Amino acid sequence: MTFSAPEENTLGVVITGKGRTRVKQPRRSGRVANSAHRASLGVAFLGLGAAILVILRAVYGFSWFVAFWSGDVYPKPIAALASWIVLVAVLLGAIIATRVINDRLPDWIFALFVTGLAVSVALDLIAIWDLHSIGHHATSAIAAGMTLLVVVAVRGPVEILVADGVLALALAVAMFLNAEPGALVDGEWMAPQLIALASAVLPPVIGVAIIEAFRRMVQVELDRVLTQSTVSAPRFAVGMLASEELARLDLAAEELLDSIATRKTPLPLAPKMASVAASLATELRLHLIEGRRETWLYHAVSESELLGKSVTLVDKSSLAGLLDPAQRDGLLSTAWLLVSDTTKANPGTTVTLQIGPLDTSEPHGLPAHKLLVPITITTTGVPRNRVDPTIWDAIGRVGRYSDSTQDSSLRVDIECVVDNPADHNA
Amino acid sequence: MDLIAKERERLLQRAARVYGLSFTAVALVCALLPGAVDPLALVISLPLFAVVAFAQLRMGMSRSLLWVGLVLLCGVGIIGVFRFVGSGPSPEAGYSAILQLAAVSLAGCALVLTSSGPRIALLVGAFLLVGGSAVFVTDGVPQMLRTAGLVVLGWLLPTAIAIWISVGVPQVEKRIASIGRAHRAERQASELEAQRRQSARLLHDTVLATLTLLAHSGVGVKPDALREQAADDARLLRQLRLGSAPTPPPEGEPFVSTETSPIPVIEEPVLGTTLESVQQRFNRMGLQVHWHGTGQVLLPSDVLDAFLLALAECLENVRRHSGVTEAHVTITEDEKIVRALVTDSGVGFDINDVDDAKLGFSESVVARLRDVGGNARLFSAPGSGTTVVLEVPR
Repeated sequence: MTFSAPEENTLGVVITGKGRTRVKQPRRSGRVANSAHRASLGVAFLGLGAAILVILRAVYGFSWFVAFWSGDVYPKPIAALASWIVLVAVLLGAIIATRVINDRLPDWIFALFVTGLAVSVALDLIAIWDLHSIGHHATSAIAAGMTLLVVVAVRGPVEILVADGVLALALAVAMFLNAEPGALVDGEWMAPQLIALASAVLPPVIGVAIIEAFRRMVQVELDRVLTQSTVSAPRFAVGMLASEELARLDLAAEELLDSIATRKTPLPLAPKMASVAASLATELRLHLIEGRRETWLYHAVSESELLGKSVTLVDKSSLAGLLDPAQRDGLLSTAWLLVSDTTKANPGTTVTLQIGPLDTSEPHGLPAHKLLVPITITTTGVPRNRVDPTIWDAIGRVGRYSDSTQDSSLRVDIECVVDNPADHNA
Repeated sequence: MDLIAKERERLLQRAARVYGLSFTAVALVCALLPGAVDPLALVISLPLFAVVAFAQLRMGMSRSLLWVGLVLLCGVGIIGVFRFVGSGPSPEAGYSAILQLAAVSLAGCALVLTSSGPRIALLVGAFLLVGGSAVFVTDGVPQMLRTAGLVVLGWLLPTAIAIWISVGVPQVEKRIASIGRAHRAERQASELEAQRRQSARLLHDTVLATLTLLAHSGVGVKPDALREQAADDARLLRQLRLGSAPTPPPEGEPFVSTETSPIPVIEEPVLGTTLESVQQRFNRMGLQVHWHGTGQVLLPSDVLDAFLLALAECLENVRRHSGVTEAHVTITEDEKIVRALVTDSGVGFDINDVDDAKLGFSESVVARLRDVGGNARLFSAPGSGTTVVLEVPR
């Protein structure tokens, strides 16, 4: 085993060639890397729904095409027919591709897809150009817009919106160029163009909005479920992040020592390696000391992407560890409801959870083996009347509470009764 | 209502907002086209449009049916104003505005009206009201049929979307829940792993000591001794990493790893062999440690741990500060207490001059012993060596 100096050690310290530079880097667990993949949970199902809608829309458009065809409306019927053949081929190809790949669509397929749509739109416009009312006669060109929805689940929102925007621009320009003199001030001519444009362009926008909201929902829910697992954690826990780091530090130390033992690294050590050893020792010491002292709540807040941003935890005596699972669940849900309900509307929302200090002065008439832990939740940017009613259930699970308003934001004081740890383990 | 249901509601509300607002805008633009509706009707309808748009915006954030009601009533109001104020709507632009409102914009409300019985009833009522007024203001039977068809389609679409999403969410919920369960197991495993690593304190202590030597480039210690120590430590770390395979250690090796229960833990052996390992370690680093007294002491593992750590810490102080290469450790015991006397004949120091904390004495030695109910005392004077007494309960 050889030891190679890590580019970044586990406290987020970057070791560069010119000695060590301390750079504070926010670290989150490896979850972030695959969160994009996990957020695609269930999106495939919505994608299927979108595909069905697109097919229905295409059938509707096609029936108009048949009506125009049999009514000999088209000046260039072959172009219209070709346009529909291209559109159907693109649509079927895209549906099959999304079903088979079921992951992010490769760029070249997406490019092919968009090109196919563009060809279809162009052919349809050519077919009806001489009629001077795209809004009345366009069929596949309008259906093509909605066809973008087929890939809504497997491509990023921006790409779809850009493609949609280009289509909108192309149709609008075509309508403008195609207008007969005077038509542009004629409301009766304008209205169908507008409706056609809207029905081509808006469905992808709405689809993207729904899919994005869905993805966000899945993300938030995942984040919540992952932090929820802290509820059953022991009173003090090392936490997943620290645990991973400790394992990595041990491994780094092992590699370093091994490379010295096997003479791959010469003694006495070069200054650079010596400083690596020093920082390893420091980090290892830190991790061995601090590790035991954190409560489940600390881990829940620090591991969650959503809570981490706006929740501050004040728990000097680590009293959160004393709460039983039901109380923990209540407290965590409360924090969740406060943060997830209001942060979207008001990014300035903060929640401070203060646990303790224990008030031992006044007798509270509790059984001897019970302990009263005061919990204070103070917030900023959470108006009392905007709080979801379900929050009171969650708080009620923690203990008896009273709510008030402080600086026009919600404040809740909870009296949480817990088992006295002194009775369990002396 | 559980959180995922809330999230679903919120998702549908957002969908209703973007759906409604987009097509309200289309309807408004149609109405603004020249000759679409009577100018007076347009003026009257503008505030109503504003109310509809505002209510649709609020619908995206609030579950309240108030906003839905406001959207529907003002929407129907606009349709009425277009038809009955002044000359009425023009056949293309005017009726397009009405249709966009009745069949699309207002139909967006259906997205939030499928989650409960009363809401579905409201959905049907809203559909009849809006569709009815749209048909009512249309002239001519064929046009009425066309309007009715479009309104039906327009309301079916968001209803279907809402149902589709409502079906999709529980599916996702199930998968998320199973990810959550897996994560809980992962957390427990990682917790146990971390505890296992942290409880191997003695091992980490020697590793830290070696790393500290290396941090000073290993100066002052023979390279071979340091290599030997590094090899020992690396092997122990490997055992820890591999979940400590139950291989019997070669003769006189410091740490015995055994397989216990489901979670393998590095177990500290009886004091005797462990003392030997401490002795070996310091010998390699150039400090001869001589043992006197009891060779075999059985202690609870946490007490043993603290005792050995404190002892190693004292010897480290001797090695660094005393200026001699010899230290004596005398272990005595009675029924209640195990006591270690660490003495050296080095330079010593005036206890009043040197702050305890500076030596790391109070933190590393005293605190560790106090944790397990023990105690430590320090005696020294310049020129006459140092003696430390460590006591732990049995």
